[in-house]
Amino acid sequence: MTSGTFIAGRGMLYLFDARAKLLTVLALCVMVFLPLRPLGLWVLVAATVLGAWHATGLRQALQPLRAILFLLVIMILFTPLTYRDGSAVLRVGSFVLATREALENLNVLVARFMGITYLCTLFIWTTPMADINLAFRWYGLSYKAALVFTLAFRFIPSIAESFVMIQDSHALRTSEQQEISRGTVHLTDIVPTVTSALVVALKSIPYLAMSLEHRGLGRRERRTSYRRLVARGGLFTHFLLSVMIPTVFFLVFNTI
Amino acid sequence: MSNGETGNKPAMRIALMAVLTAVVVVFTLLVRVPTPIKGYISLCDVVIVFSAYLFGPWVAAIAGGLGTGIADVIGGYAQWAPLSFLIHGLQGLLIAIIARSPVKGNVAADSPLIRLVIAGVVGMIVMAGGYYLAGGFLYGFEAALVEIPLNLMQSGVGVVLGIIVSRSVLKAYPPVRSLAL
Amino acid sequence: MKHMIEVRDLSFSYREYSGSQRLRPLLSALDLTVKEGERMLILGPPDSGKSTLSRILCALVPRHAEGELSGVIRIAGEDLVATEPWELTRAISLVTQNPQEQLMMTTCADEIAFPLESLGTDRDTIIRRVDRALETWGLTELAEVNPQELSGGERKRLLLAVTDAIDAPVWIMDEPFDDLDELWRARLMDHLTNAARTVLVFASRYLDEFRGSFDAYGRIHDRRISFGAEERIVIDFERESEQLFTAFEEPGNIDAQRRLAARDLTIIHARRSASSAQPFRLRVEDFHIDSGEVVALVGPNGAGKSTLSRVLCGLDPCEEGSLTVDGERVNQKQLQVRVGYLFQNPDYGIFLPSVREEIGWSLRRRKDLSPQERERMIIDCAALFHLDPDENPTMMSYGGRKHLQAAVYHVLDRPFVIIDELDSGVTYAAAFEIVALLRSRGAAVVVITHDRTFAKNLAERQYRIIDGRVVETEVGS
Repeated sequence: MTSGTFIAGRGMLYLFDARAKLLTVLALCVMVFLPLRPLGLWVLVAATVLGAWHATGLRQALQPLRAILFLLVIMILFTPLTYRDGSAVLRVGSFVLATREALENLNVLVARFMGITYLCTLFIWTTPMADINLAFRWYGLSYKAALVFTLAFRFIPSIAESFVMIQDSHALRTSEQQEISRGTVHLTDIVPTVTSALVVALKSIPYLAMSLEHRGLGRRERRTSYRRLVARGGLFTHFLLSVMIPTVFFLVFNTI
Repeated sequence: MSNGETGNKPAMRIALMAVLTAVVVVFTLLVRVPTPIKGYISLCDVVIVFSAYLFGPWVAAIAGGLGTGIADVIGGYAQWAPLSFLIHGLQGLLIAIIARSPVKGNVAADSPLIRLVIAGVVGMIVMAGGYYLAGGFLYGFEAALVEIPLNLMQSGVGVVLGIIVSRSVLKAYPPVRSLAL
Repeated sequence: MKHMIEVRDLSFSYREYSGSQRLRPLLSALDLTVKEGERMLILGPPDSGKSTLSRILCALVPRHAEGELSGVIRIAGEDLVATEPWELTRAISLVTQNPQEQLMMTTCADEIAFPLESLGTDRDTIIRRVDRALETWGLTELAEVNPQELSGGERKRLLLAVTDAIDAPVWIMDEPFDDLDELWRARLMDHLTNAARTVLVFASRYLDEFRGSFDAYGRIHDRRISFGAEERIVIDFERESEQLFTAFEEPGNIDAQRRLAARDLTIIHARRSASSAQPFRLRVEDFHIDSGEVVALVGPNGAGKSTLSRVLCGLDPCEEGSLTVDGERVNQKQLQVRVGYLFQNPDYGIFLPSVREEIGWSLRRRKDLSPQERERMIIDCAALFHLDPDENPTMMSYGGRKHLQAAVYHVLDRPFVIIDELDSGVTYAAAFEIVALLRSRGAAVVVITHDRTFAKNLAERQYRIIDGRVVETEVGS
């Protein structure tokens, strides 16, 4: 299992400082819940999709859409059926399939959901995990909390690998032929596999604690930092941008 | 000179949280059980319940919240990450607090079964209810209703397996108690 | 001269979790003195307490492993009783046998920087030292790569780079030459001999590189360390660990001659690795094993030994070609119940609280056995592999867990068994016994190894993987 989420690509988004970028994404995510014209929401969706296309290519850019397709279908099927008020626009016989208000509501929900999806995805695609971590620290996350985050990423690939091996090992221990397919656990084998997986993972905990202490975690000196975030052109400029983008957007598209 | 009881082991706590977070990520993304309705459900709840029964509220909250959050990000559902962090974090926290054993030196998994079940059911309600509310705001309460039974099933399986697995791990790997205290 | 490591009357016992004993003694009344600038080699068979002792010296055990310790330990004159592990970061560095235990970060550069950050080293110095350590250990290209994607040898070098960057006056190294190829073994030996620091090396195999390279020699036996001249120590050590090979018994009556054969296989394996983005291809023109045979499968790290094994036991598919058992084509599922595979890590199969249940689990679906017969089989099998049926498998020594792993396949009575890296972590004698026991019922055994001596003394035939091709070669070549 790959645990990286960063996708190497091109464009301004990669130069945008992680701290300012995080603020922008948060501000925009909050903004989509404010009274905006639907056109504004769709402009945001278009901007983020085009941004993803430019940064990583079309194939990659369509991937988040595929991931939420199932939910979108449910939304389109259920929202009009359960939202009954207003004037009918679609009907079968005497049964009202959808009202004008329901469709307007659906339009906003779909655009909002797609917008948030693409905003968050763009952020993690264009920001290396180490930078995200540094940005969180800059915003006040404690070193130990940030360390838990880093260590978790260290262990994801090895635990995933050992899990596959454990499944295989248990598969080879059965005394008769059995259906086995990767990634699927059969009910009778769940407890053995899960127990082995947890024991193997738990056994690594004391070693990790030893290693952390042996490498000086707990010392009284102030920790220094090997990595740091560098905002090209000055951090102020980046933050100015991150305030301006949502503000301008809101001023243009608000309905107040 | 014997090994001193935990107290002064900050690294141990960090190691516990980090490894269990990684286990939650792997179980969310990799371990899937086929179901008749929606393809698969994930087993992340088993690990959250397990962590709550053995390692207490904070480890369960971090492992559950951070683990599912990271899994969302890696799995391509980044928009869910902050919500998963809160919902599964709260789920782990509450299960551990309710199930906590009053006997000193015991882990929650040693509590009477009924207590573990009650804790687990509260966890199920938090999880299914949390996603319903979150989903309601994100894409409408109508569509979010569809997910309630699936989430109840997933977290219910988590409680049942969580109870079985935490007991089998205690037997198979007795030193787990010294990690827990 | 100052004593950098001073140990007087050290005893250590691990806590026992099953059986009547509360403690399992590992070391007792052990003395050890290492002077400043001295280089010492201590030999000891697997599971003799080398790793535990090295952790005790760094104040990590019994802090992180339940057990009882007594005796006096001084590191650079400081008594360890009052010392926390992190206070020793500047004074002493440990390189553990299994690099996975010590790796914590998501890039190689961060791994090297971590202890320097803890020590409060200023950023410019950290950058300089990280760069230099990467260069010294041939990792410059891999600076931003995740250590989890590295090979075993590269991981070992990364840990050496971390240790190098800290530059502590005392180095404790547990099997540091494991996983390294000849070039890097020589470099490491150079590095150890040319720097003015105190070095304590633990090893379970005596390597040619060691000859004459240390100032003092010792070996662990009877739970303590004895010292002496190099030659004396090595002879005693090799005699004790029965590394002098004994003749290999022929198997008893074999009921049926069976053959597993692979012809014209192509295996393609999507490999996720730092060094190559290319998918991995393996060609097998003719590979076969017959009942009662012991066959070695050799090749450098990453050559594809495990990849081939996984196809042979039906865990992975092959692209093209045929796999047959006794002349009949078999699919993956059929292979899975005919070919056993002992993973290098025995813990993957362990999940039950006792040896009895662990062995019995394999028999749980055998409807033809009465409970008495089943119990008889379990007890016999446990005795054969020197296992106590009531012991807790997870808590047994590594050697014991390897024996249990073999016992599980013995009771399953698989006609073919593949064993991955059996020789690391157990004595040659124990490895030989495991193979002999598996073969005693007529199984064909494939042993994966990169130890030439081991292969030469054990196997009748040998396959080698060279440049993506599996070819039969002379044994031990």
